[in-house]
Amino acid sequence: MDIKKLWSEIKSKYSIFLVLAVLFVVSWIANENFMSVKNLSNISIQITVATILAFGQTILIICGMLDLSSASVLALAGVLSVSTYISTESLLLAFLVAIAASVACNIINGLMITKFKAPPFIATLAMMTMARGAALLYTNGQNIYQIGRYVKFGQGSILGVPTPIIFMLGTLVVTWYILKHTVLGRSVYAIGGNEEAANASGIDVNKVKMKAFIINGIFVGIAGVIFMSRVNGGMPNGAVGYEFKALTAAVIGGTSFTGGIGTSLGTLAGSFIVGFLDNIMVLSGVNSYLQQIVRGAIIALAVIYDIFAKTKRTKAKLGNIEAKNKV
Amino acid sequence: MKRWLAVILVVMLLMTALAGCSKPADNEGPAEGGDKPYRVAYIARAQADSFAAWMANAVKEEAEKYDNIVVDIFDGQASDSTENALIENAITNKYDAIIIQPNNGEAQRPYAEKAVAAGIITITTNARIDGIKGASSVDADPYAQAKVNADVAVSQIPQNANVVVLNGPPGNFHADARRESWKKEFFEKRPDVKIVGEEIANWNKDEAMNYMETWVQANSKIDAIISMNDNMAAGALEVIKDDARFADILAYGVDGTAEAALLIKDGLMTSTSLQSAYALAEALLDTANKLLTGEETQIDIDIDCPLITIDNVDQYIEMHKRAGAIR
Repeated sequence: MDIKKLWSEIKSKYSIFLVLAVLFVVSWIANENFMSVKNLSNISIQITVATILAFGQTILIICGMLDLSSASVLALAGVLSVSTYISTESLLLAFLVAIAASVACNIINGLMITKFKAPPFIATLAMMTMARGAALLYTNGQNIYQIGRYVKFGQGSILGVPTPIIFMLGTLVVTWYILKHTVLGRSVYAIGGNEEAANASGIDVNKVKMKAFIINGIFVGIAGVIFMSRVNGGMPNGAVGYEFKALTAAVIGGTSFTGGIGTSLGTLAGSFIVGFLDNIMVLSGVNSYLQQIVRGAIIALAVIYDIFAKTKRTKAKLGNIEAKNKV
Repeated sequence: MKRWLAVILVVMLLMTALAGCSKPADNEGPAEGGDKPYRVAYIARAQADSFAAWMANAVKEEAEKYDNIVVDIFDGQASDSTENALIENAITNKYDAIIIQPNNGEAQRPYAEKAVAAGIITITTNARIDGIKGASSVDADPYAQAKVNADVAVSQIPQNANVVVLNGPPGNFHADARRESWKKEFFEKRPDVKIVGEEIANWNKDEAMNYMETWVQANSKIDAIISMNDNMAAGALEVIKDDARFADILAYGVDGTAEAALLIKDGLMTSTSLQSAYALAEALLDTANKLLTGEETQIDIDIDCPLITIDNVDQYIEMHKRAGAIR
């Protein structure tokens, strides 16, 4: 009985990690090249950009919002950063420019949503178009090449650990800490769970939403630097569709689109699930069209599971109340 | 607050409208014989596509050499419906000639036919829409572009080689024709060569990088990268540039981008063929001029697709330097 209870608790709390573990073992068995340090480190680097975006999305989604503009803002921040490096040769300045540009765009997102009550979907959709347009206008639609030492951000390594992975772990820790151990984090969950109740309990909803966008902005800026550095160029057309990769990772990782539920580790696991799947399908030479179907099916399953688990949890809670009433 | 927003909105709309009007007026220079210049609408596939952007810029530059022609550039935004609407608008606005760079030839075909039926000189380009009665066309032949590379690869790629193939978006005229050319001109002549990986990287550098990273895990021996464009070839090379195992790898692309020219100069890339936006623009304006002045009534031409290798790369680097793409 106890074991059964324990198992059900593990299942409800850590199911995403079980899925990840199963996928890992299956991939290991399916292809001999999967299980190597180099391959696993490749996967980690490949998912870095989408994962860092996904951490920002996780905070926003828990708070009942989302950011469709992240990939476009990434491109704008990235090309501004690359061209800053080319004209000043300062890596630090280039990095700061990326963060500043991205935070600025996200402050506008936040203002549209808090001050003017625009729905996050529409507000960030507008920013998505504007930021991409700005990136293209700034570069005249052309890629910037010969970026020199700028590649250090995404292709270098510190003590043998590739820099993108360090950035990913850094943003993971920050997200985890904010969500778990700060007033801001608790407010984010409260607003996503029930905005009116949060407001009534004295939380400054607009301020929290604004902060959530600023944190998202910092992450998007970092992702922009890594992306441009990894592709060795300033690409105004870069990262198209990454906002959806990020949303996918967050949703597979158990972040609920209705708000109030989600964790940073879940999102990381969601991102790794996508990364492992893509990797094993390419290693095994699965037809590229079939790959898209599998990717879509996984999202559908994750969402269905999310809804299923939630109704079960609600039922269990109601059951408890009923049982108590009987006693 | 609401009133302010309304005012800002109206001002922005007015500004956009005025900016749109003022452009052609600025260009109305003295034409031959004091006549009004011919008005040409250039409808680009998407200003966000780096080749299409290069081409639109080249057309704009080339048009300045003609006193009797004024070109207005429109952006199809990679959308069939947008592009079709732009063609209809150009017909309504009674342009003397319409140049269409289709997003999808078959989707634009009926609209190109409408333009011809309205008595407007119609030119399709990059890629041409075949078989429209009364329309002209200027293009580079994608089959030939891949063939010049395949021809040298037949003798360069070693016996029993392992190769990887990077494809453009399925259904894209150039992507399909280039792949078909590699099939007929290379793979059918070299049955000993084995494809150890083939994926759709959608012309994108970052996607190509991810595939190559996985392929090098699964294969200790890859002799050549066969890519349908330079961007993807550059992505694959980015992965193995410091890997001694792949120091002798051969890599083929198409387009002749600035980045490919630099890679060939550095001995990393083997060859590419030039699809010159300048050559296309030059041929387009020349064709438009001949048709508008009544010198000819129908023209179909292909520009050359010269092969770029280490032997002649310097002249192409010079070309890109003149264009400001490299320093």
